[in-house]
Amino acid sequence: MDVFVIGQAVHMPAARIGEKRLEELVFDTAHAALADAGVRRGQIDHVTIAGCDELDGRSISSMLLAAPAGAQLRDEMKCTDSGLTGLCLEAMRLESGIFELGLLVSWSKPSTAPLEDVMRMRCEPFYTRPIGLNMAITDALFAQAVGEKYGFDEFDADEAVLEAYRRADRNPRGIGHGVPAMEDIALSPYLAAPLRREHQAPITDGAVAMVLASAEWLKRNPNARALAQVAGIGWRNEQYDLGSDRLAGLTGFRATLDDALMMAGLKNAAGLDLLELESQTGFHELAFRAALNGNAPKDISTSGGAFAQNPYFCTGLVNAAEAVLQLSNNAGPIQIPRIKRAAAHGSHGFAQQGNVAVVLERV
Amino acid sequence: MAKNTVAVIGTGQTKFKTHYADKTYVELAQDAAKLAMDDAGVTPDELDAIVFSMAPTQFMGVNDCDRWATSHVWGTGKPFMRIHAGGATGGSALQAAYVHVASGVHRTVLVVGADRVAETPDAQHVLNLIWDRFYEHDFALNTVTMTALAAQRYMSRYGTTEEQFAQVVVRARKNAMGNPYAHLKGEITVDDVMNSPRVAYPYKRFDICPRSSGAAAVVLSNLDVAKEKCARPAFVNGVSAITHSVFMGDRMGVFSETEFSDHDGEHIAAYEAYRQAGITDPTSQIQVAELYDPFSTFQFPSIESLGFCGRGRAAAISDEGGWDLDGQVAIGPSGGTLCTNPIGVTGLVRVVDAANQVMGKAGQNQLPNVHNAVATAVGGSTQFFAVTMLGDDHATRGRVQ
Repeated sequence: MDVFVIGQAVHMPAARIGEKRLEELVFDTAHAALADAGVRRGQIDHVTIAGCDELDGRSISSMLLAAPAGAQLRDEMKCTDSGLTGLCLEAMRLESGIFELGLLVSWSKPSTAPLEDVMRMRCEPFYTRPIGLNMAITDALFAQAVGEKYGFDEFDADEAVLEAYRRADRNPRGIGHGVPAMEDIALSPYLAAPLRREHQAPITDGAVAMVLASAEWLKRNPNARALAQVAGIGWRNEQYDLGSDRLAGLTGFRATLDDALMMAGLKNAAGLDLLELESQTGFHELAFRAALNGNAPKDISTSGGAFAQNPYFCTGLVNAAEAVLQLSNNAGPIQIPRIKRAAAHGSHGFAQQGNVAVVLERV
Repeated sequence: MAKNTVAVIGTGQTKFKTHYADKTYVELAQDAAKLAMDDAGVTPDELDAIVFSMAPTQFMGVNDCDRWATSHVWGTGKPFMRIHAGGATGGSALQAAYVHVASGVHRTVLVVGADRVAETPDAQHVLNLIWDRFYEHDFALNTVTMTALAAQRYMSRYGTTEEQFAQVVVRARKNAMGNPYAHLKGEITVDDVMNSPRVAYPYKRFDICPRSSGAAAVVLSNLDVAKEKCARPAFVNGVSAITHSVFMGDRMGVFSETEFSDHDGEHIAAYEAYRQAGITDPTSQIQVAELYDPFSTFQFPSIESLGFCGRGRAAAISDEGGWDLDGQVAIGPSGGTLCTNPIGVTGLVRVVDAANQVMGKAGQNQLPNVHNAVATAVGGSTQFFAVTMLGDDHATRGRVQ
């Protein structure tokens, strides 16, 4: 694709960003991305938003947040699936040829939202809502299914979580949870067997914004620097119902990644130097790695992924921002030398009903 | 100029009514998807991607209900995303699907959605929740009172009367009689509108749209697929969706860039869509306008924003029949949003009705010689404006009749 990231900002995460209203969080992040790109809002010809009404606590949250996101009197479009889905939509908007310079903004402030209540209301009213399904239970069903299929057990999940925290601990952009003791993970209370509380990545507040440009715009603005090129995009939904094939098959994860890799001209994930996964639990980390079928890149989730920061809904877009930092040699102490291609993964919905992948390349 | 030509090759909509006791939400969406696919002559395997059109989910009571609907609209294992822009959702979803195809990423895309606005006991209570918790909830602001304020300002600026707005309702209900899918229809008089119960000045009950349930869908494709599947597609020749500030007070007065009561952003969106479509004289080049007009007061500022007449002139032209089916531009031949408003798909219904006119498939409501039609959608605090230009020819866009 002839689509380039020319600036970005990731708001410093916190378990609760209490000193800012949501619109201030969004404005500050969008403003910082424009500054990073060296462009003014007046130059932007469109804005793409990825936001979730239910987590924002407003029926049409973009009413308030579109303007702080830079969209006042601009062509604006909002998707509600995930931040990384927003990047796919934004890439298509630029690739369509009718836009040249866009701003993508996504946010999440779950500290002010009862997350499991929001998730419970995702259940349809006839079968799943009466039995009380929620995110933890669906993730536990996923853990049971992939554990049985791939032979994982709780101990493996404990180890995966510990390793994720170790990687996150080296990432200066993470929230700084520290590395817990093994027994703190292994003996944490069960939420729904086999999922324990410390198997879950802690939810944080956060926001991400990116400025993207077409090749034509870059030609006319030679002083602008491209941080990375969007080489491939993919996103797919699996079925809503949680049968065993749906839970253990990881079909959507594989197909989504394949879509993005194919568009980027790669046969499989081994052609990547880095894959940043959105693993909401240790079981997810194990399952996604297993689903790569031995075609894994050398580095996976170097940033620590969701265990570094996890603004649920835009965690996948944080992964993309981390990939851009790596490709532009701005990743600091976790910089991977000579990195050329990286992919970001995101997921959304009960037990990863939706998967999203974006392949980015060094310019 | 878009890299790839995009065409509507199939449309579908259910009948709209207050309640669908015999169908679930996802079954409604499925019905519309099936109708559009059958109309386009495509099978589920031929769909590359799905765009789901749904506004606030509080109306029907399931968060992110698009995920529930995924399999029902044949989206399992496919690229699938939901677009949400309040009342403008359907227009914005169509435009999201447009970039799927225009970018060359996909060849054939289904846009589908459903809504059940009357599932909640009071839709206006839900619509109060779109406002700020600290400053605005307690003002009893909802979409009725919000737009009533704008209507009062429009009346003050241009001298428009309640009776002139009432005539809009009379025309819409009459037009809807030829539309088998419309929720409200019938022969009524200006007196009927004027004598209906007062809701919020200048609104009486008949000035306000119904709470509708139903579904709509559109199949979009690139030129190659359109040539294979459709004898007379409706080409999507221009798209634009302009967003404004939520704060109505910031959009009026000497320090404002635009005028709130004029549907300010709609003018910007329309002229960008016209630029892409090669429309230079809207009144002579566009035959049909399907407007997002949930209130009788929406038509005049929208008509003026679309460039069919000057500011403050639409009401007088309406009195002379200029917006009737045989007028200078046929406004809302389907009966429009005043007669049918399933909020999450209303903008898509506008596209369906406009595309059907271009494709020659509008049935009893078909107008002769429709070459260009415009569809609009409006949402939020009258702040999201989506304008889509449809034409029967992508090669000679905007030809003068």
